[in-house]
Amino acid sequence: MLMVAPALLHASLWIGLPVLAAVVLAFTKYDVLTAPQFVGLDNFRDMLDDAVFRKSIVNTVVYTFFTVPFGMLLGLLLAMALHTGLKARGIFRTAVFLPQVTATVAIALVWLWIYNPGNGLFNALLSFIGIDGPAWLSSTSWAMPSVILVGIWQGIGMKMLIYLAALQSLPRELYEAASVDGASKVRQFFSITLPLLKPATFFVLITSMISAFQSFDQIYILTDGGPANSTTMMTYEIYKSAFREFRVGYACAQSLVLFVLLMGFTLVNRRIMGGTRGHS
Amino acid sequence: MATVDTRKPVAPSTAKPRERGGRRPVSPGRIALYITLSVISLLMVVPFVWMVITSLKSPVEIASQDAGLLPSSWQFSNYVDAFEAAPFATYARNSFIIAISHTVLNVLVASMAGYALARIRFRGSEVIFYLFIAALMIPTYTKVLPEFLIVRFMPLAGGNDILGQGGSGWLDTWWALIIPGAVTPFAVFLFRQFYLDLPVELEEAARLDGLGEFRIYARIMTPQVKPALTTVALLTFESSWNNFLWPLLVTRTDSLRVIQVGLSVFKTENGTQWHFLMAGTTLATLPMVLLFLIGQRYFVQGFATAGLK
Repeated sequence: MLMVAPALLHASLWIGLPVLAAVVLAFTKYDVLTAPQFVGLDNFRDMLDDAVFRKSIVNTVVYTFFTVPFGMLLGLLLAMALHTGLKARGIFRTAVFLPQVTATVAIALVWLWIYNPGNGLFNALLSFIGIDGPAWLSSTSWAMPSVILVGIWQGIGMKMLIYLAALQSLPRELYEAASVDGASKVRQFFSITLPLLKPATFFVLITSMISAFQSFDQIYILTDGGPANSTTMMTYEIYKSAFREFRVGYACAQSLVLFVLLMGFTLVNRRIMGGTRGHS
Repeated sequence: MATVDTRKPVAPSTAKPRERGGRRPVSPGRIALYITLSVISLLMVVPFVWMVITSLKSPVEIASQDAGLLPSSWQFSNYVDAFEAAPFATYARNSFIIAISHTVLNVLVASMAGYALARIRFRGSEVIFYLFIAALMIPTYTKVLPEFLIVRFMPLAGGNDILGQGGSGWLDTWWALIIPGAVTPFAVFLFRQFYLDLPVELEEAARLDGLGEFRIYARIMTPQVKPALTTVALLTFESSWNNFLWPLLVTRTDSLRVIQVGLSVFKTENGTQWHFLMAGTTLATLPMVLLFLIGQRYFVQGFATAGLK
């Protein structure tokens, strides 16, 4: 059909072809300047010995593990608070959602300034209560928590919004019936709300994990993967391999690992959540 | 023009916030809730406020350890000076051109595709739909390297021969900035969902009137999905304006830099000039904040629809 043709052509050239190319290039040694050379599984073998890449996988998992569930819990609580029909709900919702529509680069720059060890806002506030704050982003023990805090802060809005939309579409009659039967609010939450929110939870979990796994902008701005690789992520290693070391084949192999991990998580989640898909 | 039932399609699954009848006395729990929400909202907004405040402080005051939180004198001239320190105006203009191009192209191309996939039965339409769904799941970082190579080796562009050798292809051109990200599978998917909800009578009547498929799409059906058009337009503009990785990879020259890349370069080169950096960041943030405040309903609908469909 003619009307799909432009979109289909575009997707074939800029999504289909790249994916195929990534799979092929993953088995080659390629520096862009000379023709790719087939090297079999060498790239994948190299990855096993690559301590920094292993570290980046661990970091990515740690970052995701802390930003996603915490963010989801906060998002759900906020959504429930806003769902109680209180006044000024719109203002609260806007405030919480604002970081979501703002560029991650801009947000990271602002936080870079807030975390500034000399006269950043964070340490200035801490010094009011007599605490001498650390150099947040250049300390191996504080850099990751600092990056995670920014991740949670930026991501809450989206999670809250999806939960809020889901809460608003729940049938009211169920709650009325439950109240008549004498079920407490807490009981209602665990027996009605939570099970009915399962599709939303599944969706939030998957999309948040996908985006957390692909965090890049904030790392680029905040820490450059440091100090001592303590905040480097898989995406950052892919970028470094390709554009700083010119090992494009190796970078493609790394990107396939990222792809397979994400697909794996999606499938496992789907299994655990009982094959729920969004309604309609 | 056919006289048919033109009732507005029901906006999918974003239920209107429901109103509670009757006012209740304010309970202590409710007050606690308000306080908690206010504190959280404050925490969400403080970084933005701090950004603007810093952009209006003098460098001396920023460097001083014991200056107050607010500037002692508001330095609006920082903005003028920042524009001289780096071509932030050019960066913003570039971002704007790219974001507008993406928005127009995405709305046009994706709505056509979404319409065809929703309303026209043709051989392979199901397969094509699933291909778009599959495309939706490809991580950016898996496709971005080969995308870069395609741009680099684009045949007959930027001094390249027919095999894509010899020159720099589309690198450092508007083509590279605009074309690869112009159409998103997500927009195709979103449009399809909206077109699916339209009543079939509408299109049957138009067909009886002898309208061609393209006219039915353009004249009859698309005016019915205006919320979808707005939603896709806003979301496309937002993600284009905020994009960082792709323009970072494909541009080298200052004159083609977008605002996000310009900011990161300014940070690397003049890292300590926080007043200028925050002025630039405010400039990069402001359009999105305004757009969000104006089109909040559509943003919310877009994200929520994406979430629940």
